[in-house]
Amino acid sequence: MIAEGTKAPGFTLKDHLGREISLDSLTGKHHVMLLFYPLDFTPT
Amino acid sequence: MPETEALLSRFGAANTQVLGISIDSVFCHANWAASLGGVSFPLLSDFHPKGAVAASYGLYLEKAGITDRATVIIDAGGTVRHISSVTPAGGRDIAELAALCEKVDQEYSGPKEAVPSPATFPRGSTLYVKSSCGHSLKAMNALANFHLGGAIILKNVTDDPAAKAELVKLGGKDQAPCLVVDGKPLYEADDIVKAMTDSVAYLK
Repeated sequence: MIAEGTKAPGFTLKDHLGREISLDSLTGKHHVMLLFYPLDFTPT
Repeated sequence: MPETEALLSRFGAANTQVLGISIDSVFCHANWAASLGGVSFPLLSDFHPKGAVAASYGLYLEKAGITDRATVIIDAGGTVRHISSVTPAGGRDIAELAALCEKVDQEYSGPKEAVPSPATFPRGSTLYVKSSCGHSLKAMNALANFHLGGAIILKNVTDDPAAKAELVKLGGKDQAPCLVVDGKPLYEADDIVKAMTDSVAYLK
């Protein structure tokens, strides 16, 4: 995994409602927590 | 995700936008979100090229073809402040992550804004429909076209007596289609479609 203190790689992806969401549009305003997970229908 | 949903206001207060991300498709995410009664933060689809974003964070498990169960906290300046894995079979401690986000927020001295409340229908929003009803079909088409299946629960009062009883209890009649948001019923198909359209316009 990438190191703490480095710049977060950018991305633009669609969400479950079909909205396009880019990291760049969020940082600059908010902090962001990314919850990576293996598959839908699995716990936390 | 329900554990995160329960603490979402804490993340919001720490100026932190929560995003879920896996290699599942938008349609799979929408189904899962619907099965959970709606998810009010975005579930991102890292579907094509498969796992590319996870790979850019070093969190794609090539052999298994899935993403690791891992958490990344990025400050408003775009810097990674925390990255950790609990392995795919592990479980996250969401309260501990909320505390970490609060710490990042306290330490960050740059400009930041509060996270707006989720721009979608509130959890528990439900569309009641009838079989063989053109107006119901119109509302269901809008639900599908706007990809709102992950935000609004669909119930058919023709097949489901419990749903019919709920609908009558809410508005005093079994008229459908009926969109219920925050316990308030909206009956006309055109008004229901407008409410959905407005919500999508607000998202963009």
